[in-house]
This record gives sequence, C-alpha cells and structure tokens, in this order.
Amino acid sequence: MIAVRRLSVSSLQLAVLASTALILLPLGYVTALALSADSTIWHRLWTTRVPELLLNTVSLAGAVALLALVLGVSTAWMVTRFEFPGRRLWEVALVLPLAMPTYVLAYVYNYLLGYGGPVEHLWQMVTGPQSRILSPQSFWGVTIVMTLDTFPFVYLLTRSALLSFNVSFEEVARTCGASQLRTMLHVTLPLLRPSIVAGVALVVLYVVSDFGAVSLLRYQTLTYAVFQQMTGRSDNQAASILSILLVVLALLFLLTERWFRRKSRFYQTTGRYRAPQRIQCEWWHATALTACLATVTGLAFGIPVYLLAMWSLSSEAQAILDARFFGFIWNSALLSSLAATAAVLGGLPLAYLASRKPTWLNLGCLQAAYAGYVLPGPVAALAVLVLFLNVMPFLYGTVIVLIVAYVLHFLPAGLQSLEPSIQQITPNLEEAARTLGLGVRETWRRVTLPLIRNGMIVAWVLIFLQTMKELPATLLLRPVGFDTLAIRVWLEASEEYYQLAAPSALLIVLVGLPALSLLLSRDWRAA
Amino acid sequence: MYRWPRQCSRTIGVPVRLNFAGVFAACLLAVLWLPTPPEVSAADKLIVYSGRSERLIKPVLDAFTAKTGIQVDLLSSGTTELVNRLKAEGGRSPADVFISNDAGSLEMARTAGLLRPLNMPEVEQAIPPQFRAADNSWIGLSGRFWIIVCNTTMVTPDQITSLLDLADPRWKDKIAIPNAGSEYLQAGVSVIRASLGDDQTKRFLEGLRNNAGTHVYQKSSQIVEAVAKGQVSVGVVNHYYVYRHLAVQPTAPLGVMMPDQQAGGMGAIMNVAGIGILKHTSRFDAAKLLVEFLVAEVGQKMFADLDKEYPLHPEVKADSSLVERKRFRTASVPLTKLAELREPTLLLIEQVGMR
Repeated sequence: MIAVRRLSVSSLQLAVLASTALILLPLGYVTALALSADSTIWHRLWTTRVPELLLNTVSLAGAVALLALVLGVSTAWMVTRFEFPGRRLWEVALVLPLAMPTYVLAYVYNYLLGYGGPVEHLWQMVTGPQSRILSPQSFWGVTIVMTLDTFPFVYLLTRSALLSFNVSFEEVARTCGASQLRTMLHVTLPLLRPSIVAGVALVVLYVVSDFGAVSLLRYQTLTYAVFQQMTGRSDNQAASILSILLVVLALLFLLTERWFRRKSRFYQTTGRYRAPQRIQCEWWHATALTACLATVTGLAFGIPVYLLAMWSLSSEAQAILDARFFGFIWNSALLSSLAATAAVLGGLPLAYLASRKPTWLNLGCLQAAYAGYVLPGPVAALAVLVLFLNVMPFLYGTVIVLIVAYVLHFLPAGLQSLEPSIQQITPNLEEAARTLGLGVRETWRRVTLPLIRNGMIVAWVLIFLQTMKELPATLLLRPVGFDTLAIRVWLEASEEYYQLAAPSALLIVLVGLPALSLLLSRDWRAA
Repeated sequence: MYRWPRQCSRTIGVPVRLNFAGVFAACLLAVLWLPTPPEVSAADKLIVYSGRSERLIKPVLDAFTAKTGIQVDLLSSGTTELVNRLKAEGGRSPADVFISNDAGSLEMARTAGLLRPLNMPEVEQAIPPQFRAADNSWIGLSGRFWIIVCNTTMVTPDQITSLLDLADPRWKDKIAIPNAGSEYLQAGVSVIRASLGDDQTKRFLEGLRNNAGTHVYQKSSQIVEAVAKGQVSVGVVNHYYVYRHLAVQPTAPLGVMMPDQQAGGMGAIMNVAGIGILKHTSRFDAAKLLVEFLVAEVGQKMFADLDKEYPLHPEVKADSSLVERKRFRTASVPLTKLAELREPTLLLIEQVGMR
C-alpha cells in the first residue's frame, strides 16, 4: 500500500513539474530571444515605436478600467439595492456582453458609428450634413467598445460582494450621524474594494492582451504591434522585445493589484449578519433605472445581436452556409473541447498538490502556471511554434500545437475555479476514506473527484468559451484548411464584409450563452 | 462519521463515466488522424499556401480541380507571415506550392532555398523573363501597380502627378496609407529608394507619415472604402482594389491616377503576384500541372480578371475597365531586386516611425 502511494504521489508530482515546465518554457524562450537581440534593434524600437505603444496601451487600459469601474459598480448597485419590476431580468442581462467577443463588438460598432454609417446618418438629419460623430477608430471609440464588453467583470464581482454584504456596518455609520452619501463613500465602497479591484484587474488584463478589437479598430497597442511585427517582418526578435515589455507591464500591474488587496482586508468579528433590504421603487424611479439598464445592455448586447441576426438572414450570408461552414463549426467545437479537457486535466494536479502538499515547489509551480496570464496570444503562439519545431517537429502542423498554445494561455482561467474548489474540501474526508480501506486511486475516484466536480465543470466551460473566441494564436498556428469560426469573423470583418462575418459571430455568441447561465449562479472568479 | 462516504457514493457514477482521460485519449487519436486524411490518393492533392486573399484565388483553384481532378487544400494568410512559416517549417513543410502577392517575398523564399527551379517550355513561352526569377524558381502570374486613388468630388487629377507630391503638407489628414507591415508599401518604398536614393525617400516617408496621421490601414480595401466615402481625399493602393470596389459600386466617386508618368519621372511602381513550387514537395508533377494551368491563356485570364490585375501573358488582354497597359510606363527597378532592397527599406520605414 505504501509503495503504491509513493508511486502515485511522485507521478502526480512529475505531472506537475512537466506541466509547469511546459508553461514556463515559452516565457523563457521569448525572454531569451529578446535579450539576445542586437542592441540596435532595442534602440530602434525605443526611439520609434515603444513610447507611442506604451502610452497607447496604458492609457487605453486606464480609461477602460475607469469607465468599466463606474459602469460595473453602478449597475451592480442598481440591481442589488433596489426592487423594481424586471430587476431579475436585468440582473441576468448585464452578464450577457461576456458572450460577445471584443472583435465582434468592434466590427458591429465599426459599421454603426463608422464614417457614413447609420448613426452618423441619423445625427446628420438632426444637425446638418457636415457634422461628424465620434469615430470608432479612435481612442474613445476603442475605449467605449472595450468598456461595453468588459464591464460585466466588475459588475459580477461587485454584485456578489454586495449580495453577501453585511448591512450592519452601514447602519452603524448612519446611527452615528453620517449622511447617506458619506456612508456610501466611507463605509460601503471601501468594504467592496477588494472585489472591485479584482474585477478591474480582470478588465485591465483583458484590455492589455486583446488583439481582435484593436486590430479591427486600428488602434496601436503593444499586443497588436507584436502581431504586426510577427507577420510583417521576417525576424521575430523585435516581436519578442515588444512581448517582454508587455509581460513586464502586466507583471507590474499584477503586483500593484496584489498590494492593493493586501492593504484592504476586512473581517467580520461578531456573528451578527444581516443581508441588505432592497429599496422599493416608485414608478418614476423604476422607469429611470430601467432606462439606464436598458441603454447599457442594449448597447453592449441587444443592438449588436439584433444586427448580427439581421445580417445572418441576408441572402449573402445564407449563401455561405454550406458544408464548409459546418466544417468551421466542427473545428471550433473540437478545438475548444480538446483544449478545455487538456487544461482541466493539466490544472488538476497543479491545484491539488498546491493545496494538499503546499511545499515551496508545489506552490511555486502553481504560481508559475499563472504565467500564461501575462503572455498575450501572439506571444504564446510564437513561443509554441518555435518550441515545437525544435523539440517535437513531427507534431508541427497538427492540431496539437494549437491545443498546447490554448492550454498555456487559458490554464490560469481554469485554475481560478479549480483551486478554490479543491481548497473547500477538507483533507479529513480523504483521510477518512483511506482509513476505511480505500486505495489512493479509489479515494480520488470516489471521494475527491465527485466533490470537486462542479469546479471542474466551471473551469472546463470557461476554457471552452475562451478558446472558442481566441484569435491571434489560431491565426498563426492553424493547420492547413483548419479555420475556426473566430478566424472567419476576423477574415471577413477585416475586409468589411459585414454580412459574411455575421453567421460565425452570431454562433460564437449563442454558444456562449448557456455557459454564462452556469457562471451566473456562483461567485465567479476568472477571466 | 459514515455519512460522507455514503453521500458521495450517490454521485460517484457521473465522473467515473465521464472518464476524462479516456475521452481525451480518444480525442487525441482523432486529432492525430485528422489533419492528414487517409492518403488514398496522395498524388491527386496539393497543399497551397497563399498570400492572396481567399476569395480571389479559390475560384481559380476550383477551376483547376474541375479540370484535373486534383484536390487543393488552401491556407490563406499574410504573405510575409507565410514566408516566415515556410522558413520555420523548412523541409517539414506540408506545403507544395506557394502563391504570393509580392515578388519580393517570392525572391526571399528563393534565397532561403525553399523553392525548386522549374524547367518548363510552357512557362518560357507564356511569361516574359523580366517577370520570373533568374532560375525560374518563381514565376510571375499577374501584374499590379501602385497607384493613387482619389475621391473625384474632392480632388482633380491635375493636383497630383507623382507619389512624392503626397508628402506635401497640403494633404495633411487627407491621405490613407497601408501599414508598415504591408508588402506593397515595402516594395513600393524599395523602388522609390532604388530610383531616388535614401535621403529623398526618407523625406518623402516623413511627409507621408505626417499627412496620413491615423489613417493607416491593415487592408487596402479599407483605404479604397475610406476614399470612396470621402473620409480622406486620396489613398495609395494597388490599382485593382479600386476596380474591385467599382465593380460592386459603379457609382462610387473614385478616380485612378497613374503616378510619376511625367517626363523624367520614375514611372509607375509595378509588382507581380506569382507562384513557386516548394523544394521538398513530393507532388512535383501535380504542382507543375497547377503552374501550367495558371500560365496558360485561360488560367491567365481567370487569375488576372478575378483580381482586376494585368495578365503577364502577352496574348491575354486585361479586363476592359482597366487603364490600357500601353498607356503608361513602369519604373525600371527589376522585380528580382525587391528582396535585397527590402531589409534596408524596412529599417528606413521604422526609422521614420511609420506604423
């Protein structure tokens, strides 16, 4: 029995080390490539591209974070603190934009707000033929598109914090004579801060690594520049240098965020807890709230989906719904489910060992796995490409290369839900099972796995969704004749064939919906 | 004490039946098998990497399949991206044929030793030698010219005679240009450098950069769109983008200016789309059949007309909507030099800080 145990633990350990190595190799490779670059390349980039790219990336992330913060917190507040007809509907509707890839929203708004587009037409009917509206291909255009797409991150986390919020803190402040506003600013918001910061962090990481929207809206960020360097030049060193900058930027941000959260821990010291009472709304108040929420969800989800549906029904779009199109659906589904399965299988030992045997090695491996977070899609693709060509050339050109890139990129998202689900079951249960005579394997199968099943499913669904939407790595690594829905959207939308891109885009959105309903029911913590 | 295991035993069934490892292994097997479908007829298939956009090449390849029965698997992507990919793949590349929209990229593939020289009388007869590699490693298929497209309601043709005019400050915020990664831009600037020297080219690029501002596009079709809508007055694109737009929207206010035709001017900048057969292909005969198809009169007509380009076969006429080929002059920089000119051109483009 002891021999069996040793064997299985060490094989688990091996699996952990192997997957960690797999995750760290690309990062190491990109770093090495960047550091080995000639100093003239560094100099050239610093004097030409880097200042603009850094400024663009940071200011976009900042502006989107700020707007998403305002939008996310205020909508969460509306649906948790007030009671009005239709509240439950809006509670769900506000999450829907998460099913919309940023590049789909970008291409819809490119059409809507574009030069000579329908919105400008309306505007000119009111204000005269010469007036112009905000171009979607501008800083504010990109900011608005990104905000509409990412504010649900903040909304979700703030909402769940507000739902589990102990209202006695506020009541104490009020009885001590603080005004309603003062209470909100000095008591409620600080208490919500950890959740809000976590939500904003997701937004920032998302914006910084986004490729699709910025490329369709022609806004130059580091991630976009990395892709351009990789596809427009015949050496990858400049791309790797820009990637390293991006990684450093993301790391700096993550550290700041950790520091923020460390400084804000609040504890419930007595057992007295009361959930907040919702305020009943007058009819005019309810109308105002409904109008607000309808505008937000309409802009972020309703109008785009309506347009996509209309376009999909057009005759041009119908013409492409042939056998080839179903091939794209199959490719997308196959890739996404394989990647999700592989990532869950790979993440499980990592999360398990880190919580059961928290040695520095295991904890280190877990932390290292999060490296995928800071490695943007094109960079992950670049590293995977080179690694496979040098180490396992016979696999090159197969779907496996793509799957490795996906796992690398999305494993952290899966770990976010695997880790807590393993931590929640006490080791006592497994120990009890062992004392009752079950072997290690049996214990896993009959006790541990069933208990963490929900966590695994959520992780699987999350990665499935992300892979479905993924663009840059798929563009660079796909095997011959292996397009996915996301690729089709990008190819058609970048030539402004709105109708032709619509069916694929609509499908991506629709596939995402059932998964979202699953996520809505729990405290959701993943990008 | 005994409650937990009992409770669990109710839920055991599902995860056991899911059996992730088994499912995964099965999927893996499926995948390993998937990208290489059964080799029942390896000779009747070709894998083509194409830098030409899918809708402009697929009909021709479909016609080829219809004629010969040879299936074609197509990977459409950016031209430079494909050269990078071919270089990385080396002898392991699954590709048999490389179709590129830029002679410079074809020449780069040749110098990287990726292409196999062709010795075919059909090619010698159909395509004039200035449109082929010295050893016939690649063969031009259609000609494309860098032109200035203008919105006819905003600009009159006499306002611009040369590409260099576009650096004039009066075009500030009125020009749309392709981004620095575009092979057309790189080839065009290479020709200007070879004709006029680095200093003058640099001044030109700086002016162009300032005038374009944020109107820097990934796709030339977007430039034409912007000019047609009057968002900018002029743009620099390959000629066929304009004719393709006009074919769909005949009333669009678009005009084509063939630049640098004035006495002593450098002439219009020409590039070709072309084809090369990869060295490591095991389907050389099928690949040769494709080349044969594309250089023959029918193939030439179809290949060029789909994209509104100029056929290179002397006997084949271009689409009647195009400016007649005899009526303008071409810059004298040989296509085969585009590859060696490219690296310093890229450096210059980046020094200027174009996007």
